[in-house]
Amino acid sequence: MSTNILTQNDIQHVDYKDVDLLKQFINPHGRVVGRKRTGLTSKQQRAVEAAVKRARFLGLLPYVAR
Amino acid sequence: MTAEETTLLDADLAVAMPVEDGPAEPRIYELGYHIIPTVKEEDVEKIVSGIRSIIESAGDGSSTGGKAAFIAEGAPSLIRLAYPMSALAVEGEKRVEYDRGYFGWIKFESAVSTASVLMEKLKSDANILRFGIFRTVREDTRAKMKPPTLREVKRTDTIKSSPKRAPTEESAVPVSEEDLEKALRDITTE
Repeated sequence: MSTNILTQNDIQHVDYKDVDLLKQFINPHGRVVGRKRTGLTSKQQRAVEAAVKRARFLGLLPYVAR
Repeated sequence: MTAEETTLLDADLAVAMPVEDGPAEPRIYELGYHIIPTVKEEDVEKIVSGIRSIIESAGDGSSTGGKAAFIAEGAPSLIRLAYPMSALAVEGEKRVEYDRGYFGWIKFESAVSTASVLMEKLKSDANILRFGIFRTVREDTRAKMKPPTLREVKRTDTIKSSPKRAPTEESAVPVSEEDLEKALRDITTE
């Protein structure tokens, strides 16, 4: 079974304000999880990375945690 | 290579390269901002209307684009920041650390020049803790997640426990206090 959360939920755009969604793509240290584990397409992975970086800059997600 | 060939090559390059000085089409931007938490709650709205007026006035004055149009907006609300941010205090030159801020966002359509004007104005605004202007799309980009607990579970005979209720109700009625006391006495005597 695919683990692609974005495709499963039919999400076309990844918004930096969707912190709960983005939290599923970062590990407990706050680092972005790789494609192997997220199961995203490369386009989706790039969108998630950009959104996480925006969210970090605006203080919605941590740069480092724990 | 002759001079003629080089000019031809230049012409090709000119076609291939995007024209940057031409009339720019309006773009869709999203501004996300944090207002410093020391601002009173009733004054937050004033600051937001100030930001809106910057976007509107810059849109009017630009030579390339028309009036800026607002698409969507998220009202500022006080949130805890993921890490402390420091910014210059409103009065004085000392940097102050904040662990919370009023986070809000505005999605608007405007010319490229408007975004750069807005960026300059917000940089100099001491009430804005931090901001980001990002290019986005007109559609709503917020994810509509299905609740993760919603799974299709086959509800079979485990749910059919309702017939059980009937006999318990019936059996509860005939037990009188005398019988109970008798039963208790039997237990205590043993």
